[in-house]
Amino acid sequence: MPDFGALLRGRPRLRAAVLSQEAVLLLALLALLLVVGLINERYVAERNLMSIALAHAYIAVAAIGMSMVIITGNIDISVGSLIGVLAAVCGTLANMGLPIGLAWLLPILLAIVISGSLGVLVAYCRIPSIVASLGYLSILKGGLIIWTGGAWITDLPENFGLALQRWGGVPAPIWAMLILTALAAYWMRNSRTGRAFYAIGGNAEAARLAGIPTQRMVVLVFMLNGLFAGIAGILFATQLKVIQTTVPPYLELTIITAAVVGGVSILGGTGTVIGSTLAAVLLAAIGSALIFIDVSPFWLRATYGTLILVTVLFDLHRRRLQQRAS
Amino acid sequence: MQTKRFMSAAVAAALAWTSMGHAAWDGADDLPTNPLPCDGGGGSVAAKPYDGGTPSGAANMAGKKISLVDVPKLIGIGYFNATALGMQQAAEELGNVDVVTDGPTEANIDDQITFIDNFITQGVDGILFAANDPVAIAPVLKKALGQGIHVVGYDANSQPDAREWFVNQAEFNGIAKSMVDAMAAEIGDDGKFAIVTSTFTTPNQARWIAEMEAYLAKCHPGMEWLETVEAQEDNVLSFNQATTLINKYGDDLDGLFGMTSVATPASAEAVTQAGECGDIAVVGLATPNAMKPYVKTDCVRSVVLWNPVDLGYAAVYVTRAVVDGDLKPGGTSVDAGRLGTLQVINGSEILLGAPYVFDKSNIDGFDF
Repeated sequence: MPDFGALLRGRPRLRAAVLSQEAVLLLALLALLLVVGLINERYVAERNLMSIALAHAYIAVAAIGMSMVIITGNIDISVGSLIGVLAAVCGTLANMGLPIGLAWLLPILLAIVISGSLGVLVAYCRIPSIVASLGYLSILKGGLIIWTGGAWITDLPENFGLALQRWGGVPAPIWAMLILTALAAYWMRNSRTGRAFYAIGGNAEAARLAGIPTQRMVVLVFMLNGLFAGIAGILFATQLKVIQTTVPPYLELTIITAAVVGGVSILGGTGTVIGSTLAAVLLAAIGSALIFIDVSPFWLRATYGTLILVTVLFDLHRRRLQQRAS
Repeated sequence: MQTKRFMSAAVAAALAWTSMGHAAWDGADDLPTNPLPCDGGGGSVAAKPYDGGTPSGAANMAGKKISLVDVPKLIGIGYFNATALGMQQAAEELGNVDVVTDGPTEANIDDQITFIDNFITQGVDGILFAANDPVAIAPVLKKALGQGIHVVGYDANSQPDAREWFVNQAEFNGIAKSMVDAMAAEIGDDGKFAIVTSTFTTPNQARWIAEMEAYLAKCHPGMEWLETVEAQEDNVLSFNQATTLINKYGDDLDGLFGMTSVATPASAEAVTQAGECGDIAVVGLATPNAMKPYVKTDCVRSVVLWNPVDLGYAAVYVTRAVVDGDLKPGGTSVDAGRLGTLQVINGSEILLGAPYVFDKSNIDGFDF
């Protein structure tokens, strides 16, 4: 076996790239495709690969916003309920006869307002984000049931299915996932605001002293989270011909899992949205693989949990190494 | 280093999974089953003494005009609009019954109790209910019985001694038979199918699957059950799971069962988007509105549930029979107009009959 260690020594950038969470996830994804593909070649057939990419496209979009929030050292556990509410709003507006573009757009604006108000509570009222968003989770989940009585939204207009459209043979949600991930990754890396998010998550006090308006930035990051949750909600709502008005179980946990497994440190300050998107796809590939290799579905949640723990352990390990190096 | 460690862990985990593979989780529970006969007719019914309540000092209203109130879980939704419609149909046929439906606008047990309490104060001859909570509703129903008011439940039961009779919309073995027979009719007696269910912890689904397994073994032994997948109560996950089954089995898959009103439309959507309509049958439990798009395109031919119009209709006939003395504790059947004779089961329940199969010819007549 060649000595990779020697190859990487003295080349810090190459070393960083190979050891990055994104590279680990990509390798894990390829290994999974290879191993399960050898067991059952239909797993890597084009249509199943497309299904895997499609399955968590909306999760990946929501995880972009979640990653930004976690990078600033906050969290939003109400996002699953928010997506459920947005789907119901979207369907209701469409059935009221609004132009279809408005029925898609208004819920996104609503999401920015709701999520932004959560940001105000966190930034200005100093309620820890986990507590504030726990409150939002209950309010949104309960409010949805009270408003709809649990009845489904059916009989949607013919042109409602945004997520059912295909552009160049590729389903719209996959395009949304790829384009939004690329834009967000570029913006997080190169914009002043993106850098400010990392600075706040790394050390909020230092960021404030450096002249970053931390409170406004926290509100902004929650508004962005609302934007991505809104887009995810529309993709979620328009994927099928009925809208379920109960919040899907574990949705927020799957989104947070994608962000954390994607390498976004729960301690804030590090991580990328490319990682969270790769992780969302990896989680979908694992779900599909469990069916292909006849493993009981009991294992799906346990697998997600194991991935979280492994990732967090590596993250802590990496930080320790960095501290020693500096 | 980290990468290598991660990879070896991942490979080890993958190997561990495959070695454990074919762990047969089939979604069924381990309780005893009671499959119905293959050719129709009722199953063996274990006799059980009457365990319902009795109104004290009820006036003899046999043959006289009675006024009933119906307090469903909530009003204003399609399902209970349909039960209320059936009640009005029965009242019109009988000619000597008035029924008024009123209840909470949310499925809230406290509001429901308040409604029933008010009706007791107003004075009525009978109360029909679909309970939001079987235990919490019991005291107010017992209060009604104590004042000589007849009490009959439908759709959602209370504790047995808090009402006289309960009209049971479907038994587990009846649903199982309807589902399996519908699937066999579409894919043949040697067809291969898979099941999409909610979770392993939902008792109703586990019971239905167990009864389906027993009925399959008895009446359609040639059909092959490929596997059961879990999809929570999440329609996008249900869609993904059904799609994965289609991708995995290719042409070997002839049919999909949806065990919940979430899984069935999602499975139909998966079959539609895979372009497999006509090649993969979808049979399942679902409400008509969610299934109309798929029934109209002929992608789905059989949606199994019960008919809520018939359910409300039967509840009024049962109450009339109780008031007239035609249905007494210990009785074994009751006459229910156009539905014919309905059987008494489980001591004090009346079985609505075989489940109702919605198809292209009748589904537009329902809105819930």
